[in-house]
Amino acid sequence: MHDIRVGTEDVFKRQIELASRNYKLFQDHGVRAFNVMGAIGSGKTLLILRLAERLKEKGVRVGAIAGDVAGDDDFQRFTAGGLVAANLNTGDDCHLDAHRVGHALESFPFGDVDVLFIENVGNLVCPADFPLGTEGDLVVISVTEGDDMVRKHPKMFAQTDVLAVNKVDLASFVGVDPMALVDDYRRLNPHGKVVLTDAKSGRGVDELLAALGL
Amino acid sequence: MHEYSLAHALLEGLTEHLGQHPVHGRVRAVHVRKGELLILSEEALGEAWRILAEGTEVAGSELRVEKVPVKVRCPSCGYEGPVKYVSEEGWHFAVPLLACPQCQARAEVIEGRDLAIVGLSVDDAPLDHQAA
Repeated sequence: MHDIRVGTEDVFKRQIELASRNYKLFQDHGVRAFNVMGAIGSGKTLLILRLAERLKEKGVRVGAIAGDVAGDDDFQRFTAGGLVAANLNTGDDCHLDAHRVGHALESFPFGDVDVLFIENVGNLVCPADFPLGTEGDLVVISVTEGDDMVRKHPKMFAQTDVLAVNKVDLASFVGVDPMALVDDYRRLNPHGKVVLTDAKSGRGVDELLAALGL
Repeated sequence: MHEYSLAHALLEGLTEHLGQHPVHGRVRAVHVRKGELLILSEEALGEAWRILAEGTEVAGSELRVEKVPVKVRCPSCGYEGPVKYVSEEGWHFAVPLLACPQCQARAEVIEGRDLAIVGLSVDDAPLDHQAA
């Protein structure tokens, strides 16, 4: 038996190329885009709506892409909230990828937005491997998922720019210490920023905007 | 999570390569580099490979995965190399810290996210001789 050196292309190369194309598109239009990932039901949509409200007060126009396996529930919520929105169903796929987002951007009215939130499919595993071309990541989890959510998904949180620990108003009811989540995150990601939020009341929204550099 | 589609992409790349650079012997093993940041089960990838390779010229080959550690470049102090890891009892692996191990600044990942075939182990005897 003998060994042969072979150099096939990195199978993620195409994803990175498409993400770079999206990144350039955002830059060309002067749009600041963020990939909003997180657990199912953690409050991603409401948090985006709260961020958008505050940004609107500052004269910043906000858009959103609602990524979901099926349906247009989040898209409807964004639209009702006054956001320029697009719906992006993945069919059966558990994450967004740069290719799908690229198609959604083809018809997106870039001229009407300054900031774009791309809400990924609720999932703390796969989205980490698929860059979309955004300038930053926001991951949303909530205390109701338990205080071990960060440590159970170490690779996702090790690579994240900003973490929002949401629904902190419910922490005492579910017996979860939000600081346990914060401590785990800081150990895994020394440069990540973390903000405690309660999207219902709007608590932490200004701090989250600051963490995102908005 | 996406082992089948990734195994398929690897197989496509290899088939294309073998079309241009044929080998004269049975392919016993296919060596793959897998960046350690990828959330990918090596066991599931190997199983997907075994199933997808059936009926192709690399049928029966084994996928041997080499985990490629994260390497970073530090924009602050210029460091380039491996990172520190964090682990705990009960975890089955260590998690790379994406910071400069020298000055602790935020560092850019330059290795650890890719997945590609780097080599083949091939029988010396040509295929038609083995069949005899």
